Amino acid sequence: MNQKKTINLLASLPKGLHAFFEEVGGTTRFAGRFLREIWFPPYEFKEVIRQSYEIGYRSLPLVGITSFIIGLVLTLQSRPTLAEFGAESWLPAMVGVSILREIGPVITALICAGKIGSSIGAELGSMKVTEQIDAMEVSGTNPFKYIVVSRVVATTLMIPLLVIVGDAISLYGSYLAININDKVTMTLYFQQVFEKVEFSDAIPSVIKSFFFGFCIGLIGTYKGYHSKKGTEGVGQSANSSVVVSSLLIFILDLLAVQITGFFGYI
Amino acid sequence: MTSKNIAIDKTESSNPSVPIDDLEMIRITDLHKSFGDNHVLRGFNLSLHRGENVVILGKSGSGKSILIKCIVGLIKYDSGSLKVFGKEIKDLSHTDLDDLRVKIGFVFQSSALYDSMTVRKNLEFPLRRHNLHLKARDVEDIVKNTLQDVGLLHAIDLMPSELSGGMRKRVGLARALVLNPDIVLYDEPTTGLDPMTSKEITNLMMKTQEKYNTSSIIISHDMDCAKRTSNRMAILSEGICYTVGKYSELEKSTDEIVNSFFL
Repeated sequence: MNQKKTINLLASLPKGLHAFFEEVGGTTRFAGRFLREIWFPPYEFKEVIRQSYEIGYRSLPLVGITSFIIGLVLTLQSRPTLAEFGAESWLPAMVGVSILREIGPVITALICAGKIGSSIGAELGSMKVTEQIDAMEVSGTNPFKYIVVSRVVATTLMIPLLVIVGDAISLYGSYLAININDKVTMTLYFQQVFEKVEFSDAIPSVIKSFFFGFCIGLIGTYKGYHSKKGTEGVGQSANSSVVVSSLLIFILDLLAVQITGFFGYI
Repeated sequence: MTSKNIAIDKTESSNPSVPIDDLEMIRITDLHKSFGDNHVLRGFNLSLHRGENVVILGKSGSGKSILIKCIVGLIKYDSGSLKVFGKEIKDLSHTDLDDLRVKIGFVFQSSALYDSMTVRKNLEFPLRRHNLHLKARDVEDIVKNTLQDVGLLHAIDLMPSELSGGMRKRVGLARALVLNPDIVLYDEPTTGLDPMTSKEITNLMMKTQEKYNTSSIIISHDMDCAKRTSNRMAILSEGICYTVGKYSELEKSTDEIVNSFFL
């Protein structure tokens, strides 16, 4: 009776809202299935390693270049403002905290949502459309485990690593930017950065980047796995993977700030 | 509308290459499947005996592909009974269904080759997952022998994107045979191929059936393929098995629906 009432209530919702709730429900069920299946054999270690290489190592050039530019630009842009207050010596610390706490994880995650999320969405969408997922299933292989679990695990593990590498490259970019106007040794620069940076700056940002990685993998695989028939469906899967995971990254970031604030880390 | 089953004569058939016996590999009884208001299967009945090839004919959208996808558990049927090797598909656990699927080869209409893997890897994929005890050398031998059977040993290291339509079908067939199944399900194996290649694929289907001793359900619009491969033909119309019989019998039928397939 209650279920009937709920169904009627859902049916009476406007079409867009109905589709939104359906999508939220579908994604939650999908995440639930992932969390159930990850613990039981067979474990797809080889595929996880292959995906980690594809997702992590192959994203490194893009993450590296963008992180370098962000570090460089952030320093160049912040310098005049700090100079007005005679606080140029605070530049390394300010840039360091900004990058480690916020800019590094969010920018890296957004870049990966674009590169990895769209590629997973399109790849799985095309596998779905060309019946490759069905072929896997009829050959007695669990496609969810082979395709979905391996990719979500790989993104969850690789994004934090990319964030750490990206942060380091950003700081190096910042060091070069400071040296355009001043002459600072690398030792002195990093000493100034780490004087102000604490573990409570770095750890929450690494923890949240695990969630960013999980979200990118989950949304990409969900959209691809449920791709509608035809090439248009593949395009839609790739596109909505990027849009939804980018949006979720900001929402998760907001939650992370609230949680770290609650525990007194801000 | 009731099914007009014509009794099967096991001593004489269109395709006499493999002996047929009484053992039922598949038994479908009163199968129903709907998608919303679209009732695709409305009480379909059919059986497949060991060594037999049954060709299913039907208009586009009549539910032929849905039917064979129900047989391997890719699509869940609403009601009725579908037994493969005496086991009701609906009642099987995931693990049991996976075990059963190993005995069923499926040749997809689009071939459905894994496009990120070479031909070799496409064939190794099911082998390595189900025969964990096999040594690398044994896997290599099985893959090469199966590819030899479909005449594509030279393409072993090619990617699917480098293959022609006919070659893709052959690799799809090889992948279905690599686990040495008892049943092979063909979803329009000659669709999209030129008449010459269609003939080659049909010959290959018959040759491999003889060698691997399989029983088959073949969905096809290709009457030449149907004539040469079938022991029995079933016509799927309005969601039911409209009639079953040998090619020679159905060809002479005066029934309008049956006749429409032979025009």
